[in-house]
Amino acid sequence: MKKIIELSVNGESAEFLVEPQETLLEVLRDHMGLTGTKEGCGTGECGSCTVLVGDRPILSCLTPAVECHKQDIITIEGIGEGNDLSPVQQAFVDCGAIQCGFCTPGMVLSTEVLLKENPNPQEKDIYKALEGNLCRCTGYNKIIEAVHKASKQMVAEQE
Amino acid sequence: MRLPKFEHVQPSSREEASRLLAEYGSRAQLVAGGTDLYPRMKYGLTRPDVLISLKGLSTTPPTVDPNGDLRIDALMPLADLARSQMVLEKAPLLSEAALSVASNQIRHMGTLGGNLCQENRCFYYNQTHTFQFIEPCFKRNGDQCYLIPKGKKCWAVFPSDTAPALISLGVSATILGPKESRQLPLENLYTGDPLKPLAISDGEVLTDVLLPSADSLRGTAFVKFTLRGGMEYAAFSIAVVLDMENDGILCRAARITVGSVGARPIRAGKGENAMAGQRLSKTLFQEVAKRVATEANPFPHHGYSAAYLRACLEVEARRSLTQAAEQIT
Amino acid sequence: MENKLDYVGQRVPRKDGPAKVTGRAKYTVDVQLPGMLVGRILRSPHPHAKILNIDVSRAKRLKGVKAVITSDDTIGVKHAFVDTPRYPADEPTIAKDRVLFVGEAVAAVAATHADVAEKALGLIQVDYEPLPTVFDVEEAMQPGAPEVNPGDPKVKEPLANIAGKTESGWGDIEAGFAQADYVRKDRFESHLRTHGYLEPQATVASYEPDGKLNVWTSSQGPFFKRAKLAQTLGLPFSRVRVHKAYVGGGFGGKVDLFYHEFCAALLSMKTGRPVKIEASREEIFTAYRHGEPLIIEIKTGVKNDGTLVAQQFRIINKSGAYRGTGVVVIFLAWGFIIGAYRVPNFKYEGYAVYTNNPPRTAQRGHGCPQVRFAVESQLDMIAEKLGIDPIEIRLKNARQTGEILPNGDDVNNCGLTECIEKAAEHTQFNKKYGRSRPASASSGPVRRGIGIGVSSYITGSLIYPNSSSTMVKMNDDGTVTLLTGALDIGQGAETILCQIVAEELKLHMEDIEIIAADTETTPVDIGSWISGNAFVTGNAVRVASTEVREKLLSIAAEELEASLEDLVLKDKHVQVAGSPSRNLSYQRLVALSIQKRDGDPIMGEGHWRTVRGEPYHPSLATTKGRWSDSYAFGAQVAEVEVDIETGLARLVRAVTVHDCGFPINPTLVEGQMDGQVSMALGHAFMEEVLMKEGRTLNPSWLDYRMPTIHNTAKSEVIDVITEQYEIGRPYRTKEVGEGYVSGILAAIANAVYDAVGVRLHTTPFTPERILKGLGKIK
Repeated sequence: MKKIIELSVNGESAEFLVEPQETLLEVLRDHMGLTGTKEGCGTGECGSCTVLVGDRPILSCLTPAVECHKQDIITIEGIGEGNDLSPVQQAFVDCGAIQCGFCTPGMVLSTEVLLKENPNPQEKDIYKALEGNLCRCTGYNKIIEAVHKASKQMVAEQE
Repeated sequence: MRLPKFEHVQPSSREEASRLLAEYGSRAQLVAGGTDLYPRMKYGLTRPDVLISLKGLSTTPPTVDPNGDLRIDALMPLADLARSQMVLEKAPLLSEAALSVASNQIRHMGTLGGNLCQENRCFYYNQTHTFQFIEPCFKRNGDQCYLIPKGKKCWAVFPSDTAPALISLGVSATILGPKESRQLPLENLYTGDPLKPLAISDGEVLTDVLLPSADSLRGTAFVKFTLRGGMEYAAFSIAVVLDMENDGILCRAARITVGSVGARPIRAGKGENAMAGQRLSKTLFQEVAKRVATEANPFPHHGYSAAYLRACLEVEARRSLTQAAEQIT
Repeated sequence: MENKLDYVGQRVPRKDGPAKVTGRAKYTVDVQLPGMLVGRILRSPHPHAKILNIDVSRAKRLKGVKAVITSDDTIGVKHAFVDTPRYPADEPTIAKDRVLFVGEAVAAVAATHADVAEKALGLIQVDYEPLPTVFDVEEAMQPGAPEVNPGDPKVKEPLANIAGKTESGWGDIEAGFAQADYVRKDRFESHLRTHGYLEPQATVASYEPDGKLNVWTSSQGPFFKRAKLAQTLGLPFSRVRVHKAYVGGGFGGKVDLFYHEFCAALLSMKTGRPVKIEASREEIFTAYRHGEPLIIEIKTGVKNDGTLVAQQFRIINKSGAYRGTGVVVIFLAWGFIIGAYRVPNFKYEGYAVYTNNPPRTAQRGHGCPQVRFAVESQLDMIAEKLGIDPIEIRLKNARQTGEILPNGDDVNNCGLTECIEKAAEHTQFNKKYGRSRPASASSGPVRRGIGIGVSSYITGSLIYPNSSSTMVKMNDDGTVTLLTGALDIGQGAETILCQIVAEELKLHMEDIEIIAADTETTPVDIGSWISGNAFVTGNAVRVASTEVREKLLSIAAEELEASLEDLVLKDKHVQVAGSPSRNLSYQRLVALSIQKRDGDPIMGEGHWRTVRGEPYHPSLATTKGRWSDSYAFGAQVAEVEVDIETGLARLVRAVTVHDCGFPINPTLVEGQMDGQVSMALGHAFMEEVLMKEGRTLNPSWLDYRMPTIHNTAKSEVIDVITEQYEIGRPYRTKEVGEGYVSGILAAIANAVYDAVGVRLHTTPFTPERILKGLGKIK
């Protein structure tokens, strides 16, 4: 039976009529046209579908949209201000941490969460925060560089 | 991949959840984080008509009961468990185990209860069967096993990481039913039957676990053995708890639980007995490790052979005992 | 003309970085068209069976189903990666009378909703008669083995299921072995592993009423796809348009024509509506193409000082049920042997063999990783026997500048010796090798080892479409649009091509717009699967830019009354050297061109192909014929740690010293190396597609075990420069995107031996195999 849910996505609220089995990923991509969030597997194993629901990084391919009723959701489209990139996004671009770009939205969101909680992460903290985001192109080297760069930038901005 | 159709019900309490579960019977399943259930639904392995979601329910942070036991809400997300100061203080073994599960995202979605009540796994089972391995195996209500073709039973393993840790900590589980609540040692929750891994009946909900306070010097260690170090089911896991005599030299009691190599977590009772009353030493650890590996008698699973698992179990049992000894406080 | 380089060789940020990092970049699956239907493929559950009957009537009647197709709906044209008289195309677009592997397409549906399409698949009734199967290549080759595929080439040998054969040789092999002081024979086997591109395969096809087929597909080259689609659908090339879409990785796995591409197109033609088909990750693991596993038998003879005297190879490719790229890899494998070392007496036999497994395909390096693993492992074994160190033996045999290869290719500038020397020096190789010391004083059972692997790779080669064309058009305001058929699959193609335009025309990157990879609006391109983007397409871009520059200069010379030699390009202006006030902006020059050159705007076109002396690609069967103008060389060192009690091993450090000619963009080059190091360590230690009787056991990311961030290895890249970029002149770069999985894989094999004394002849080097090698388990 369809349900009406209210989602706040990237700061804007809207109502949707959804079936219980429709995932948040499907609602974001198909109902809202926010195609930045990707499906790399559909079973929660690659992190390409990562979005933030109320500050938590979650896998939208395994989240029924009905369970996000009245929640605040941030997708990659909600990172940065207008055309300005966030420090994390800028660091990814500057460090060459992007190749095919498919893992990038999920990787950026996981990084944003990490640096919010832990502005000065150690290598092992970075590994734990990003272990659920697979990348085949970069070998992760430049992604780790980008995380460090963004962290430095954000710490400097706070001071 | 898509989820099959289902009705979604969101009870406003655990009691209501239990009632609804009893009412719907086999048509319904409980879901919290869903990180174990939804993939299985997408693979077509289970098709509940109704999902009773515990997601909206509020959770109590870990609290110490008047009698000193630490009560942990089963609905606590694993990520919260991993960074809870209370848990870090009182049961670092559990923090470690929780932190070892899957990925950061899954730890934010998945709950302790979900991790403790997850399904058993096997290569041949955990995939879609529209054009591969179509004939059902034992776990799919069929009459064969693909992993062990001449086998007469199912060999799917129980892969929870938190279960071995909690069993070694001597935890008991609270099960809420439509009529009553019951408490049982966590290890008794597991039947050892891969076809019905949990000793839980219609209408029952795991609500919390109770961790008895440590009343002695204690050292713990946890190892989750994987090929890559993250985002992976364990080849095996070992949770060691050493309770020492006041002198800190003699071991009063040990609890050693091995996970992921059988249909349920395995208490290495013989190994534990060999520790009791003994002075800790390298030789003791080597001896006990051998017993643990033999007692665990690992199933081959997920590409690992039984021989390999046995060899590494022995090595890692020795290492965890050593590590636990170094952690005694 | 001065040659100060402002863009080529610089760490220019990716042009598509902002689009990708904001989620704006649209991949195939992001394409939404009005009225779009969802397509699904019905796949064979049998590894080999006759199709007795297919009844689609119930599926057709299901509400929401708009079309159901089987092979009867096709024009019956077969296709293949290679289609020659010797190797005629052997793949049906949809299985006709029989299925040859589990997962083969038998039918397809298009419906209004995914759930309907799924249900419809379940309503298609197929009656099969199972046939005898064979899964092991060596069994399949035995006369009398079940016949997998009647598409035999003209190979006359008392062997069964031969999809193709390559033979090559020179010198006198028997005499060579007779002269050798030491001869050894070894067998190596590589395993089934896969590309692991994060973006699943997907296609959107939209057939318009006027007979035009529009396609968006995740690929590695739109022109190749267009040709295959047009041929199999019976459409003229001009009526098939493959649009640009961002691609989420390919690594060789998205080159062939796939069932879902053909079916999406045909379903759209039948329904008159757009159709999208997305493969699930599971389908990719079970039914799509993985990298070719090779069996490599090498017999090598050397002199006591390590000089190679004779080498004999027998390589068997486990092709799967169709030829695919299988007949190419046995040719390429030869190529990846002969580039690095001189071998005076040589014999090579390569077989591609059919089995009832899904067809395999090229994977990053296309045979090179498997070959170098084998050759370099054996070379270390030889070195050890002779008491020579691994560096010395390689230096002894390494090719030098100007050597002519047996097929007539000139290696030109070859930096291999320098690569080996630098790699050894940078890693202090000889200090570390042979010590098998613990990782650090307190780490106990962990042993560290070091190993080296050398490889050589070709840059661009001749295979359809064979050449690249580009156009550069100057806009009225002096900015430029580059039209190129090149496809960026993550390697940075668009960025480096713009760098070349920027360099040739002294423009900023922001002044260059690139329109790429659309078969209708951009000129033909060789594609991103032949290691030729920087070299072939890059030179075509250079030529097109040069034409623009010449036009700018010509008009400026006239207008400024200066001679051509006195003019320089700077900041979108042409100015007189030494008198900068005498200048004309590009904007002005465009206007002048319209005025004074009969209305001609300023545009340039450029075309390029390699191996210009040859009419077409070399013979796959005999290896005769030249095939590349540019050979890349590299020496790679791996440092590993192995736990001798658990067998767990990891790559700690990778050093790549490569003769790349020169790097166009060092950041992008490093990115390629990091990715190849990761792929190599995955191939070495963790990844394997496990199959049993034609079925896949581990069709998920979790169970396939690709490197996670936990498995990041320290990766260092050192460029050996042997070429240079000169504005206005043809340049030679050497490929960087494919060949460097090989050296690290080989180096890892040698490093594991150095660490623990276990020599593994089969990949992956699983912990179990290492423990068995150590005698810790049986």
